[in-house]
Amino acid sequence: MKVLVTVKRVIDYNVKIRVKPDGSDVDLTNVKMAVNPFCEIAVEEAVRLKEKGIASEIVVVSVGGSEAQEQLRTALALGADRAILVESTANTESLNVAKLLAKVVEQEQPSLVIMGKQAIDSDNNQTGQMLAALCDMPQATFASEVSVADNSVTVTREIDGGLQTLSLQLPAIVTTDLRLNEPRYASLPNIMKAKCKPLATVTPDDLGVTLSAHTQLLGVNPPPQRSAGVKVKSVAELVDKLKNEAKVI
Amino acid sequence: MDFALNDIQQMLKDSAGKFIHNDYDFETRQKHSHSELGYSEDNWQLFAELGWLALPFAEEFGGLDGNATDLMVLMTELGKGLIVEPYLSTVVLAGNAIQRGGTAEQKEALIGGIVGGELKLAFAGLEAQSATDISSISTQASTQSGGVVLNGKKQVVLHAQSADKLVVAARSHNNNGNIALYLVDANADGVAAHHYPTNDGARASDLTFTNVAAELLGDSDDAAAVIQAVLNDAIVAVSAEAVGVMDKMLSATVEYTKVRKQFDVPIAKFQILQHNMVDMFMECEQARSMVYYAAITIGEGNSEEQVAEANKASQFLKWKVGQAARLVGQTAVQLHGGMGVTDELDVGHMFKRLTMINTLFGSMDTHLDNLVKQRQAA
Amino acid sequence: MNINFSEQELAFQQEVQTFFREELPESVQAHIDNGLSFSAEVTVAYQKALYNKGWAGINWPVEHGGTGWTPTQKYIFQTESAKAKAPRQIPFGYSMVAPIIYTFGNEEQKQRFLPDILASNTWWCQGYSEPNAGSDLAGLKTRAVRDGNHYIVNGTKTWTTLGHHADWIFCLVRTSDEDSKQKGISFLLIDMTSPGVSVKPIITLDGRREVNEVAFQDVKVPVENLVGEEGRGWTYAKVLLTHERTNIAGVAVSKQRLSALYDLLNQPPAGCPDLKNNSVFMSRVVQVEMELKALEFTDLRVLSSVSTGTAPGPESSILKIKGTEIQQALDELYVEIAGIYALPFVPEQYDEAGYEPRIEPFFAPNAAPHYYNNRKVTIYGGSNEIQKNIIAKQVLGL
Repeated sequence: MKVLVTVKRVIDYNVKIRVKPDGSDVDLTNVKMAVNPFCEIAVEEAVRLKEKGIASEIVVVSVGGSEAQEQLRTALALGADRAILVESTANTESLNVAKLLAKVVEQEQPSLVIMGKQAIDSDNNQTGQMLAALCDMPQATFASEVSVADNSVTVTREIDGGLQTLSLQLPAIVTTDLRLNEPRYASLPNIMKAKCKPLATVTPDDLGVTLSAHTQLLGVNPPPQRSAGVKVKSVAELVDKLKNEAKVI
Repeated sequence: MDFALNDIQQMLKDSAGKFIHNDYDFETRQKHSHSELGYSEDNWQLFAELGWLALPFAEEFGGLDGNATDLMVLMTELGKGLIVEPYLSTVVLAGNAIQRGGTAEQKEALIGGIVGGELKLAFAGLEAQSATDISSISTQASTQSGGVVLNGKKQVVLHAQSADKLVVAARSHNNNGNIALYLVDANADGVAAHHYPTNDGARASDLTFTNVAAELLGDSDDAAAVIQAVLNDAIVAVSAEAVGVMDKMLSATVEYTKVRKQFDVPIAKFQILQHNMVDMFMECEQARSMVYYAAITIGEGNSEEQVAEANKASQFLKWKVGQAARLVGQTAVQLHGGMGVTDELDVGHMFKRLTMINTLFGSMDTHLDNLVKQRQAA
Repeated sequence: MNINFSEQELAFQQEVQTFFREELPESVQAHIDNGLSFSAEVTVAYQKALYNKGWAGINWPVEHGGTGWTPTQKYIFQTESAKAKAPRQIPFGYSMVAPIIYTFGNEEQKQRFLPDILASNTWWCQGYSEPNAGSDLAGLKTRAVRDGNHYIVNGTKTWTTLGHHADWIFCLVRTSDEDSKQKGISFLLIDMTSPGVSVKPIITLDGRREVNEVAFQDVKVPVENLVGEEGRGWTYAKVLLTHERTNIAGVAVSKQRLSALYDLLNQPPAGCPDLKNNSVFMSRVVQVEMELKALEFTDLRVLSSVSTGTAPGPESSILKIKGTEIQQALDELYVEIAGIYALPFVPEQYDEAGYEPRIEPFFAPNAAPHYYNNRKVTIYGGSNEIQKNIIAKQVLGL
């Protein structure tokens, strides 16, 4: 069974985001970049399927600039078999990414596509859903448990107030939630092997996709600075402050 | 000319950095440090799995053929966690001595165990009278009923408590005064150990050898060049570790001063504190540059000129790191105020580690003094 | 990670060495050994030799006659230039005003000014600081008032290095009081021969005239000498400051001076103290040597990231501070090694060829003036304290 996994290059989740002085975008100069954490969970899940003997090949795909090769190499070091970079820096909004991925899915014909439920940079949470629609495949989002048997995948989903279990006919698309697994650390031998694994680069033109802009970024504002809290000495003081300063009771 | 990390180093850095961030916070570190073993065996097995224990060893013995710049990358990340696992002793000191000085059979027999995480080692070099100079030792090897035995006393042997085998520097059993290296079972008859914790959260031991059965490491009983090469690697390793500690201290201090308010403003607003932190930053960067210089230089080759340059580079490095660590450590504690001198906060423990790193493999003043003498003799 | 030059770079290094061997007269090279000052004539002759070789515009874009060198080639050139004891290119034309003209100037200005700068036909000086605007440069008061096709300029600029040789001065002038004080500043090019321009020497601690005060009294400047837009001068000047970081650390020159210092220690001239056997002194020398080695690698790290097209990391911000601290530390050592022969004050023997009678050891009486003069390096170009403020804000986010 072939599994296709998508990864996105984003700012490392430990980095404090800085906005450019003119507010036009996030400042990426000298900022540490990493694999989107949800995508890393998707890679881990695929690798576990391979270790169980269920998946036979893991293909990892990214849409982005040539720098995204770093993240593809990381996915290869974690256990993916080969990588495809769709090199495109313009108009990489969700719908366009989904259209590009749909072409890759068409070419690769995977039985299962595992994606992060969202990327931590723009928090869109829609590429997986769009891809499912474009490929006309069943989808299970927010997976916290995935098991594949015969020709179907059973997915436990985290939904408001509880869990939902779905069974999907393969080929299908699964998007991962945080609690699906804990990704491993790339081992040094695997990092070294990753260098020799195949990494192909294609362009939107190669895939026959024309990207048009549907959205426009108008500006980015940092969140307002939180002021420090105060320690109160007694319950009476707390009540007083809630009543007279915060005016919430 | 290229100073960027290559792909492999970048991924190693990411993977080690993530391990420290996720699984090695300060509380966890303290727990490991205070445990009976003094570190986490689970972590040691993980290090083996991740290939970190294989890093500097030759491929034919199961290693990964890493060089000093690879070691630098790993040690800087591990430094950020103040790790207490016996990596320095097992891999950088004793394992490295086996790799550089051992016979093919000895490497075949031992390196696989190190790489697999089954074999831990310690390096016993210094003695009471030798201070920091390994050429001034009196532990003596001698021949006894066909075998070699050791007699003598070794001081402050790092991680001897957890070691299965020891690499011991001693006067040659050929009675020619040479310093040779010997392999000894850590629990062999005649080894008496006094184990104790160290200031920086690790373990060390004083060891007494009384007619302890030993095996010469390698074919030659003159190990001076091997020891020097091992010490150069060790200096790069602890210096890279120190840079990791300093990076962490600087960011902790910057964050703390932004939050800590006095006179109704965050103390980070005070220019004198800002300049103190800029001084910390500059020292971190200068120390990092010197680590680059030494890590690149000590791997260059074995010609006489290259060895001389490597020795010079490690001396330069140990001086610079000692100096930078003192400024960064002291300033970080100062800017944390009273909290800086509590046992509770991590910054004080980073300060302790930096302070102890200066004592290892020759302090900054020792190296400065040696360099002055070399220049005067030139 | 490696520190080796590629084959092409090694070939380039050869070419640079050959250039200095063939084009730099021995009498010029001897200046550094003997502590002689480079006269304006010697400097211009050297700059013209560079121009003839096509190497005058080291940092310039190729379309304006620049070398198009990689950062590594620039590094090699600077290293070899220091080893060859060449004069330095006076930076005001080549690396201060020219980049502003080719980046922000109009086509006519580029045609008019750049070729003469490149060929060393014109000498430029800088009009930024004022008696009451130093570190707080945006507080400058020299005013340019528009009057038809001219600006009328009034005010005083100071610390104008080598202004007494200059044909042109580039100035930051106030053209408006509205809005913030930075926004009222414009970038103006002024012909030094214009009526109303006067240059007055300022004698520095070394007894020499290096800097000047330049006064403007109702000086008429054609509006076509305004670079870019009115009110944008501050932005242009700032862009330049963040761009021109090559060689800011001065590592190559400091290495050459350190090596010369070791020569003096190994063979102390008669009359100088034997400091090689003084361990306290030697410990200071070795510490400077080590700090310089660290700085060289910081410089190389920056160079390496610039070569690969990535923005220089935060380490680039320390180059000016550490570089100037080392330059001054070397000056201190030279004064000490001169011993009592640091005392004689005879600037003439360095400024006039063949001056007699010479005081020996020849280098010694120049050590203290050099030390005094070089106190400037931690003050100019944004004092080191200002540099620390910038690092605190931009790098540490304080």
